[in-house]
Amino acid sequence: MDFKVVDEIIDKYKDPSGRILGILEDIQDTYNYLPKEVMVYVSKKLNVPLSSLYSVATFYSFFNLEPVGEHLISVCMGTACHVKGAPELLESLKHLLGIDVNEVTDDGKFVLTTTDRKFSLSSARCFGCCSMAPVIRIDDRIYGYVKIKDLPAILKEYGWKEK
Amino acid sequence: MGRRVKVTIDGKVFSAEEGESLLAVALRNGIDIPHLCYEECLEPYGSCRLCIVEVVEGFKKGITTSCTLGCVDGLKVLTNTPEIEKHRKVLFELYLAQAPNSEKLKKLAEKFGVYSTRFKEKNLKNDPLNGKCVMCGLCVRVCNDVLGVGAINFIGRGYRATVNVPYFEESDVCKGCKACVEVCPVDAIDYSDVGDKRVMISWSNTKVDLIKCSVCGRYFSPLPVFGSVSKKLSEYGVVCDVCPDCRKRLIAKNMTSSGGYNSYA
Ligand code: FES
Ligand code: FES
Repeated sequence: MDFKVVDEIIDKYKDPSGRILGILEDIQDTYNYLPKEVMVYVSKKLNVPLSSLYSVATFYSFFNLEPVGEHLISVCMGTACHVKGAPELLESLKHLLGIDVNEVTDDGKFVLTTTDRKFSLSSARCFGCCSMAPVIRIDDRIYGYVKIKDLPAILKEYGWKEK
Repeated sequence: MGRRVKVTIDGKVFSAEEGESLLAVALRNGIDIPHLCYEECLEPYGSCRLCIVEVVEGFKKGITTSCTLGCVDGLKVLTNTPEIEKHRKVLFELYLAQAPNSEKLKKLAEKFGVYSTRFKEKNLKNDPLNGKCVMCGLCVRVCNDVLGVGAINFIGRGYRATVNVPYFEESDVCKGCKACVEVCPVDAIDYSDVGDKRVMISWSNTKVDLIKCSVCGRYFSPLPVFGSVSKKLSEYGVVCDVCPDCRKRLIAKNMTSSGGYNSYA
């Protein structure tokens, strides 16, 4: 692993107070998750215990500790979306993407990635746009009032092909 | 030392240092206020809420946590009003649901008249702390703030939040000092000394070498702790590689034979 990129990221943050979040965010932008070697490297370089970094990384649902696919799909499971049929959306997304594992990791989070690493599917809690429930987010884009029959068209925008 | 002030707890007057934690004053004087997140060597944290008292005369009246309540002259508090008991009961019940397997917590709750919980007991599989942790944060703070080791920290958040070593993998910074075990108010952290190793069972079985007493051969101190302590103490000519028992014996022997102070002290 090339740590030069990481060094550059760290160098961008001069002020030691509150820089950890920024650094982790940039690292995730670069690798699309937080690789363990990089976490260990950052901890040594900043002289911050690995336990604190890990604590921050597990606190925010934004951070991924496992590699994710090119496009990250999050289905909102907040109250409003749940009532409006989010669980059914999740099921059909699993079906469309061909992910049929039903595992949830011990920490209650799950990220399911397709074998070609194109898509990752996860659930989240309330994006703050309940008025458009049910809501899904793909990368940075929010889709509201989603119906099951809309899903293939949405996925096609991201290069999904019907099997 | 700061100014001395007088505070009244349950009608009894006590002398205290201005600004000091009221809980500290109460405990020192044998008044039992339940508490989980207070520890003398750390700043008051106010997270467990169990130490609530009612301020009847003071800066701000009402119910508040006594650990974070600074003593001022004329402060008057009550520790056992019906309202406090009511709040405390709910708190205990929540803790009993959060950590259903802690015997120590059960005992504490019983002491304050709470024998069961109305809430659903937490039951996570593969919990390294066996459903005993109340998330008071004392172990994390001792390890990070007092010792500067930082082997453990909070992980995750919400219902599944817990305390452990990063990635739930054996720690390479843990010194096996057991301070976390010592401060835990609910005996949630397991360890065991087997042969020449200390195993921090709850921290993913992190293993630390122990060193032998040079007199009796018993294993008595984790090597990393011994290393840093002995470096400091040997500057003063203190012999470090003996266990506490043998040290006592050596001191006694030296005192009786030479009648004076010696290097084992
Ligand atoms: S519940 Fe889905 S956006 Fe709020
Ligand atoms: S001891 Fe005061 S809030 Fe925990």
